[in-house]
Amino acid sequence: MPEWLKVVLDNLPALLKGAVSTLQLTSLSVLIGLAIGTFVGMGRLSRHRAFRYPASIYVEFIRGTPLLVQLFLVYFGLPELGLRFDRFTAAVVTLGINSGAYVAEIVRAGIQSVPRGQYEAARSLGMTHGQAMLYVILPQAFRNILPALGNEFIALTKESSLATVIGTVELMRSAQYIVSRTFLSFPVYGGVALIYFLITFTLSRLVRFAESRLRV
Amino acid sequence: MREIILKIEDLHKFYGKLHVLKGINLEVAKGEVISIIGPSGGGKSTLLRCINLLEDYQRGKILFKGEPIAHKNVNRIRTQIGMVFQQFNLFPHLTVLENLTLAPLKVKRMPKDVAYEKAKALLERVGLLDKIHEKPANLSGGQQQRVAIARALMMDPELMLFDEPTSALDPELVKEVLDVIRDLVRSGMTTIIVTHEMRFAREISDKVVFLDDGKIVEVGSPEKIFTQPDNPRTREFLRHFLSV
Repeated sequence: MPEWLKVVLDNLPALLKGAVSTLQLTSLSVLIGLAIGTFVGMGRLSRHRAFRYPASIYVEFIRGTPLLVQLFLVYFGLPELGLRFDRFTAAVVTLGINSGAYVAEIVRAGIQSVPRGQYEAARSLGMTHGQAMLYVILPQAFRNILPALGNEFIALTKESSLATVIGTVELMRSAQYIVSRTFLSFPVYGGVALIYFLITFTLSRLVRFAESRLRV
Repeated sequence: MREIILKIEDLHKFYGKLHVLKGINLEVAKGEVISIIGPSGGGKSTLLRCINLLEDYQRGKILFKGEPIAHKNVNRIRTQIGMVFQQFNLFPHLTVLENLTLAPLKVKRMPKDVAYEKAKALLERVGLLDKIHEKPANLSGGQQQRVAIARALMMDPELMLFDEPTSALDPELVKEVLDVIRDLVRSGMTTIIVTHEMRFAREISDKVVFLDDGKIVEVGSPEKIFTQPDNPRTREFLRHFLSV
């Protein structure tokens, strides 16, 4: 067995542990991003300025600044204001808030893709704005934006590797530890790339499956 | 005298500077059937949509059973006013049954089994009980519109609004929808219908309203409007319309 393969195999448990951590990080961020994105996306379309303006500012600011800077701001900057997170929480919060802005734009497009008549029919039956959104508009919107959401989650999975810079131990960070001990960059980072690919490939398959199940 | 269920007083509506309704006055008594006819763009659909406040208006008043319809009471009043749209607007992600029961369950908090039995009875009435578990996409346009009528009836409305209910249908599907509306009207439902089906309007209406350029040009019995209208514009419209 070549030396490099042995090193990769020996360190596989550590890499897989990192991969699990990446999955945890990403899925928690996705949940936060979805929750924020749904409300902010609706806020962007609100008749009321009190909702519309803050929603727009949030989206523009987050999309207009680098994720790297946001991570530093949350992990190193916020403690100066008295708000301290551990490395993992800081990464989840930042990635979630970051993704929320992109999800908001997707949700906004999704809501706009549902014909106006659907909302009117719901309201004509006596439903409130909230009921019409919850039972009629959002289910159809989410069906329409599933591919776009899938892309966003795949992007987020990859971007979660940036959390390395604040010391969050996930797949990429685990790999750096191994490389610093073994000096075998190519096989280790190659293995890491493969694991990321397997995760994102599985995700895109899952999304496609969900799409086919939800088709009218 | 029969109870006045709907009263429209001096209704004005603007789209920006465009004056689309120019002082509409109309009374609808319980059990009355009113057809609104007139050229496209004359404001017929807009008038209908103002009634349940799908459109805002700038001046005038609309009273439902004596109560002014406003944004603060509109959800309650809408449960008593059924509406059927030109494009059906069934909820495509829900089955026929779910389309019927959604509003009763969520808005009226009707028990599930009661809603289910009611839905079955109404689907039977519109002849679509066998489609109860289908999605709207699997139904023809005529079937979808019959489901939409049943959906509106689930709320036990006291007034039904039909906005060109057959205009989006293939000609061979028009009759099945008109049959359902006729059946409903004969059961005593108070109805306002915007339509281009002149023969049908003549057959079912107590009163025909000719609306043109945002104004009610003429109101009368179907006999009067369709055979000897007073106004030259009504005459012109009908001559043109009935000749094609």
